Amino acid sequence: MSITDLTSMGEPQVELKKEINDRLSKLQDEVSDYCYQCAKCTSGCEAHKLLELEPHKIVALLKQGLIDEMVNSDIIWTCMSCFKCRERCPQKIAPVEILFALKNLAVAGGKQVPGKYTSVLQSVLSIGLIQDAQSVTTKDMKTKTRDDLGLPPLSKPDDPAKFQAGLMKIAVEKV
Amino acid sequence: MKKKLALYTGCLMSTEQYGYELSVRESLPLLDVQLVDIAGFSCCGEPLKSVNQLLTLYLSARNLAIAEKHNLDVFAPCAMCHLALSECKQVLQNNPDMKTRINEMLAAEELTFEGNGEIVHTVDLLHDHIGIEEIAKHVKKPLKGLKFATHYGCHLIRPSEIGRPDDSEHPVKIEAIISVLGAETAKYPEKLDCCGGILQINLDESALTKSGQKLKAVQNQGFDGLVDVCPWCHKMFDARQVKAGETVAAKLNVPVFYLTQLLGLAFGVKKEKLGLDFNISPVDKLEIG
Amino acid sequence: MRRIGVFVCHCGINIAQNVDVEALTKYASKLDSVVVSKSYKYMCSDVGATLIKDSIKKHELDGVVIACCSPRMHEHTFREVVSDGGVNQYRLEIANIREQCSWAHSDREKATKKAKFLVRSAVAKAKLLESLETSTLEVNHDALVIGAGIAGIQASLDLANDGFKVYLVEREPSIGGRMAQLDKTFPTLDCSSCILTPKMMEVANHPNVELLTYSEVTGIEGSIGNYTVKIKKKPRYVDVEKCTGCGDCATACRLKDRINSEFNMSRGKRGAAYMPFPQAVPLKYTIDAEHCLFLTRGKCGDKPACREACDQKAINFDQKEEIVELKVGAIVVTTGYDLLDPTSMYEYGYANSPDVITTLELERLISSSGPTLGEILRPSDQQKPKSITFILCVGSRDETECTWCCRIGCMSALKHVYLLREKLGDDVEINVCYTDVRSYGKGYEEFYRTVRGMKTNMFRGRPSEVQNMGDHQKIDIFDTTTNKLFEITTDMVVLVPALLPRADAGDFARLLHLTLSGDGFFLEAHPKLRPMDTFVNGIFIAGCCQGPKDIQDTVSQASGAASRVATILSKEELEIDPLIAAVDAEVCTGCGICVEVCPYEARVLNEKTKIAEVNDALCTGCGACIAACPSNASIHKNFTKKQLLDMVDDII
Repeated sequence: MSITDLTSMGEPQVELKKEINDRLSKLQDEVSDYCYQCAKCTSGCEAHKLLELEPHKIVALLKQGLIDEMVNSDIIWTCMSCFKCRERCPQKIAPVEILFALKNLAVAGGKQVPGKYTSVLQSVLSIGLIQDAQSVTTKDMKTKTRDDLGLPPLSKPDDPAKFQAGLMKIAVEKV
Repeated sequence: MKKKLALYTGCLMSTEQYGYELSVRESLPLLDVQLVDIAGFSCCGEPLKSVNQLLTLYLSARNLAIAEKHNLDVFAPCAMCHLALSECKQVLQNNPDMKTRINEMLAAEELTFEGNGEIVHTVDLLHDHIGIEEIAKHVKKPLKGLKFATHYGCHLIRPSEIGRPDDSEHPVKIEAIISVLGAETAKYPEKLDCCGGILQINLDESALTKSGQKLKAVQNQGFDGLVDVCPWCHKMFDARQVKAGETVAAKLNVPVFYLTQLLGLAFGVKKEKLGLDFNISPVDKLEIG
Repeated sequence: MRRIGVFVCHCGINIAQNVDVEALTKYASKLDSVVVSKSYKYMCSDVGATLIKDSIKKHELDGVVIACCSPRMHEHTFREVVSDGGVNQYRLEIANIREQCSWAHSDREKATKKAKFLVRSAVAKAKLLESLETSTLEVNHDALVIGAGIAGIQASLDLANDGFKVYLVEREPSIGGRMAQLDKTFPTLDCSSCILTPKMMEVANHPNVELLTYSEVTGIEGSIGNYTVKIKKKPRYVDVEKCTGCGDCATACRLKDRINSEFNMSRGKRGAAYMPFPQAVPLKYTIDAEHCLFLTRGKCGDKPACREACDQKAINFDQKEEIVELKVGAIVVTTGYDLLDPTSMYEYGYANSPDVITTLELERLISSSGPTLGEILRPSDQQKPKSITFILCVGSRDETECTWCCRIGCMSALKHVYLLREKLGDDVEINVCYTDVRSYGKGYEEFYRTVRGMKTNMFRGRPSEVQNMGDHQKIDIFDTTTNKLFEITTDMVVLVPALLPRADAGDFARLLHLTLSGDGFFLEAHPKLRPMDTFVNGIFIAGCCQGPKDIQDTVSQASGAASRVATILSKEELEIDPLIAAVDAEVCTGCGICVEVCPYEARVLNEKTKIAEVNDALCTGCGACIAACPSNASIHKNFTKKQLLDMVDDII
């Protein structure tokens, strides 16, 4: 016996679905199976109007185990993580958290990470912050540093080597 | 009674959003809050949640562990940081296996996360811990005749399952604070709309559109300005306002303030000290301070 | 020595699949005093019963253990079988190996082991069980019905027509309940008051019915057949004998049109002297003590305006609360439901705009006796709306609000669409945002089809929020039938809120010793087979206090409950279960502690003998006196210490 999605010839990825549901449980989120497709999430999705993200469809595809389809799609990277879907779901499902899981899967699977995520990651790995302290220009075109403003030195990891060692270990692990 | 808190600045505030940091450091001590700087903090991990959420949990736990080492509760003025730290605390407290796993990793830096500390944000610190009445006592120059739109920021009020500083659907604490500073606020339909900030990382055009739409709505409804409490939101509304306007074909002219800047102004602090020079939006047109 | 038979039931495969019944039967046969042990597929069947009866005769049994389902299910059946077989029915002990073994455990070996323990323990008790005889008590033939909505009215009428005296208690000034607030009823569109008012009149004028309006039950004692109920009659400050219902007091009231009318769901106003609605029964005025100036401040102008206006001198501010005591044989509880206050779902704008209303508020707007006399006007500006949008399932099927389906929301919304179309014509735009239309009743699906043909814009989806744009409301709705996001701008939004248990259902349940189900509604004794019974003998439930339901189901259930009550009231005497408390007169010291702890006033101290006695009619066998007795003189028949300790000893 088998189930096939005839548009893609894809089959339900039962194991992967279980992995995602396990992850959701670990993070204390409801699993997707309880969704009854009221689409309240999509009605209020901040990313839907601009970028056509359909959270209820993400949940439906996960329910059916059609996961690769999503992991391979750019659509999962359109979420603004406004958390309205999670906040208002009548079945306590959190499409936003499912999207985090799918994006994590895409990264772990070696998919191209879009935009500046790679440089943000690299910055955090090397100095512990998403960027180093900037000189900022005021309205009257004066450039100021933290020092100029009398702000204390930036708080960052004191022993970068140790910090990096810790991060590198995790970077290859999953929730 | 003096309240002593570890100031967890996070990345964005301490590397470019100096207006927030300056106004926090100027105005809160006037309310008997002692901010303690601790070395060794790192990013909260929230911007990397899409890449690997374990990393987010680890980074947040690491920062909380550092504060715990100093026996201090954490003050995170950034809504994103506040959510990351709060979510980390909740997940690890409810999941002992995960806590053990993270603590094993933290051992390399001789750190341990226990989860005893409290995490506060500007809004609950001002409204719940210090209190409206106490703030009222310090108001020297009430912000008379001004009507502000408020922007809470998604991460500050949602998801409510992870305790947030204000109600997810009907937040009112910033309004209460602004009211005691002498200014007005009003409801507007777009109040809970997202700034789009997180999309700056990969879909900048859309991020700008979201901010532009919200600013346009605020401008059209006759507000004197917009007040926010998150460096990500503020960057979108303030520094990037002109660009945001271009994406939605609107000439935007909305003064945007950090709540702590208004607080300082009402307390009589000089505007230079509150970093108002760094607000790119036309804050000067309101002639306050 | 006793001669005990053990009978093991397979319950089809319910028991047999997880308990090795053959091994269990063999094990039982070797127990002390057991002379026969048999198993059968369905012990509750005729064949099973014959097997037990034949075994009793053949092996001259004087005690029986049946290992089967819960005694709640079949104890009664098996007591009759044993009795027919010639053994005293109280010499039967049931070992529950279904609910407690096969259904509860998946490990067959362990479940079987546990079943053996339970059977051994049951045999230990069966060795000590005494023969008991049932006694009888006289039945009070009157009934009490609590709550005079359509359920209470129906139950009262049925009982009254059967010839029983009925006390019908209602806490509001008028009977009628929720149904009186409705304009029309689905799917037949009968005018609600046209079909309800005659029943209200009938029940009010019925010689066998005594109405107690503006009254509340405050206490209850006794048990089936003999309840004593305390009723608090709240003062109306109007002498109902004198009041003619002319309304002069209401016209004169200084607070006229100043207080939100509960009956009109706060969409209309009333005074402190008021009648909730024109067809109220009784047709008498009430003065609302919470608001009345004279009653709250001691002063209302120079003199209370209502008192001055009343020709009949019916206004009496000296009226006091009264407590009356009623004696009844059985009780029907029909206390109805509350609606979810949609303020808790702030995103839907109920607290944010006067133009977002609930279905029950719309009923009042549509009703010709409502605040707008049946004209549909938008609350904010009293203009005719050009567009009305319904949102279904507000708080229903929702893990954060009410997990259940309200069962009437879809149909009530469809009914409103029909009525609005009828009233406002084709020009008005009507939108319905639904999740799943549940039109399951007789004629419901046909009605749904009719409404689909009435230019209704159906959106299959749920909005995330309603935005108040000032002069209109804006709703984004993703419609899953077209896979498109629609923006609806509309004049009025009607929310269809979840149905809730009454806010004080928990307190009331405690008062009557009833149980609540997880959702907070009153729990029925069995969801399928005893849907009107409660776990308190002689108290029945009907209508929405048991769970959400429509008028059809409510009326059926109310008639059902009335019939259950009639079964009790029509008897002259009731058999009393002898499994109650008794006193060992040799040991009793007459300390009287049992008298103090008994919640049913069944224990009395005989002044002459100084020995505590048990009133068999009142004792429910709750066990309070047995636990409290310091000298072990109070015993529970067939649950004696020796019997219970032997059961435990045989397990450990």
